[in-house]
Amino acid sequence: MTSSPLNFEIQPSSGMPIYRQLMEQVRALVASGRLEPGDYLPSVRQMAGELDINMMTVSKAYARLEAEGVVERERGLGMRVTNNVPQESAADRKAELREHVEVMVTRAKQLGLTDDQIQAVVKSVLKEWPS
Amino acid sequence: MTECIIEAKSVHKRFGKHKVLTGVDLCVPRGAVVGLLGTNGSGKSTLIKCLLGLLKPDAGDILTLGEDPWDFTAVAKERLGYGPQEAKLYPWMKSGQIVDYTAAFYPKWDGAWATELMDRWDVETDKRAGTLSVGQLQKLSLVLALGHRPELLVLDEPVASLDPKARREFLRSLVEITDDEQHTVLFSTHITSDLERIATHVAFLRDGVISFFGGLDELKEQVKRLRITAEIDLPATFNVPGAMRIEVNGRTALVAIPQVSDPLVESLRHDWQANVTVEDLNLEEIFLEFHDA
Repeated sequence: MTSSPLNFEIQPSSGMPIYRQLMEQVRALVASGRLEPGDYLPSVRQMAGELDINMMTVSKAYARLEAEGVVERERGLGMRVTNNVPQESAADRKAELREHVEVMVTRAKQLGLTDDQIQAVVKSVLKEWPS
Repeated sequence: MTECIIEAKSVHKRFGKHKVLTGVDLCVPRGAVVGLLGTNGSGKSTLIKCLLGLLKPDAGDILTLGEDPWDFTAVAKERLGYGPQEAKLYPWMKSGQIVDYTAAFYPKWDGAWATELMDRWDVETDKRAGTLSVGQLQKLSLVLALGHRPELLVLDEPVASLDPKARREFLRSLVEITDDEQHTVLFSTHITSDLERIATHVAFLRDGVISFFGGLDELKEQVKRLRITAEIDLPATFNVPGAMRIEVNGRTALVAIPQVSDPLVESLRHDWQANVTVEDLNLEEIFLEFHDA
């Protein structure tokens, strides 16, 4: 796992293409307000360098985010978060998280873990993050 | 029209009775970083050597950098970098001398870049090649392949004997070279996680042919595994059109399919009154699904 100041991280060996992982994380950062309208994303070169991935992959993620209207290209300055993306409410963000948790819980049950064991794993992961 | 930096058509190569390549078709587009995957003995090195004019194919046509590799001109060789699987270098020369010696062959050698790579990858310049470890030798050989910033870089198992730190450093340098989308890389490997980080395309070599060539992202988006759980036991004849592999076990079935679609998933749900989940597969899993099929 690789992190950058905005805590971007990618898992190359995930089934989700890397550009999609990046798109999800930018959307989540915007939704949570950690990236505000007017903020710039790291440059393509910087992002690729920090995560050790192909620049084309970063460009692809940025171009799609631009097409979605999440960011806009500012000549010579980079990708800026637009102000037409409303910050999602905590309820919306929780709903989004729920989708991921459902997948995780399904897998956890398949692995035969108890509720307590699942919660213990989640807690230990949470501990690794600065609060 | 995609410009093919490497174009192979129906390439055949056999060694005695052993048919290694039995009709390879491949187009490596400019700017692509292509990972060539195949099991041991599938012919990756043979294919690479044919593409570079180090082996003569028995049949078929190859154009690499627009030329027949068997008759490469000096101009094409200048634009090409090759890192063989096993580096064979003059054991009595010091690694720095080998770099200088190789540089003399290339009018466009970038000495500063080569020095930086030697430094970054911790290759000692005053050690004789014969005394270097396998990993050190491989790194030195990669410096020689990269030193003139070739337009086309072909690497045969470049990271096989590198430790994780060296592999990361190497990948970082490779990403730097390809960032202008003009440089093209073809590399064979069996370490899929390295490939997943930097490759734009993958090629699977199987049974002497390229069984798959395409974008890595598209591959991951299309090849999926369906986990089907029905109310009742599924019949042994349970089938899904186009499936690469089906594993039925009582009420559940695992089905690998090359192209997932919503209508397919919906019809499975409807026809079998089943709960269907679509699971992402990483490259290693996809590769195995392709090869178990």
